[in-house]
Amino acid sequence: MPSPQLPNYLRCNRKRLALSQDEVAFLLGVQSGAKVCRDERFVREPSLKTALAYEAIFEKPARELFNGLYQEIEQEVVDRAKKLARKMDHLNPTRQNTRKLQVIAKIVGRSNATIN
Amino acid sequence: MNKISPNHFRVLAIAPSSRGFGFAVLEGPETLVDWGVKSMKGDKSIRSLEKVEELLALFRPGVIVLEDHSAKDSRRAARIRKLSKGIIALARRRNVTIALLLRQQVRQVFFADGQGTKYALAEILAARFPDELGFRLPPKRRPWMSEDYRMDIFDSVALALAVSQDKDRSIKTSIK
Repeated sequence: MPSPQLPNYLRCNRKRLALSQDEVAFLLGVQSGAKVCRDERFVREPSLKTALAYEAIFEKPARELFNGLYQEIEQEVVDRAKKLARKMDHLNPTRQNTRKLQVIAKIVGRSNATIN
Repeated sequence: MNKISPNHFRVLAIAPSSRGFGFAVLEGPETLVDWGVKSMKGDKSIRSLEKVEELLALFRPGVIVLEDHSAKDSRRAARIRKLSKGIIALARRRNVTIALLLRQQVRQVFFADGQGTKYALAEILAARFPDELGFRLPPKRRPWMSEDYRMDIFDSVALALAVSQDKDRSIKTSIK
């Protein structure tokens, strides 16, 4: 029975490096480990700047650190791409429109992608 | 070592001890999501149940694994047995599958002949998860020393791994 991905995997990556929440907070440039704690417990979603700082600290891509969140966002993009594809269905088949449809079809086909 | 795949179920293993409990959260046989020891003061059983409930809410595991203390040859304290029953009741209320493993079943997963010491098992786990557990392996216990609190982590990881890497599905029979 597969379990849904957790919103992020910050805690295991921090523990792997033997860093405390206060130490990670210092590296992030924030005052205390409480912010790191909130991120790890999925209470809040970090800003892009913080997410990239986590990527720099843990040396892992943000989409892997925030795997559950990434999959949720990706699914939303896929759903919107399906709607956009339906809207563009009746466009004239110019080279530009054909290219657009190819790109959108690629996004639609990407649902439930996995990181390995 | 760690790989993330959505096709794995999440396992929470709890190893109660005299101090509190050790826990490990595993996704598939290769991803150690969280691990640690929760030490309690005061009413350890009630505090332990509160902490287990927090872990269940945070990680939403598909399976919770415990050592089967109801076995005839189990020498665990009455408080630990009662705590295990409390955790099982808690998991049932949350509709989480419960797996109870005998110590021997865990040993059979890691040792060809099913025989091995607790420390030998901890060494196997430290080698399997070097980044996560390698530096947490305590020194080998001497006869006059009490057990290091970190051994609870290895006990819980062993339980979680025994369920996660159960390829021949033999352990499934004991899932209640």
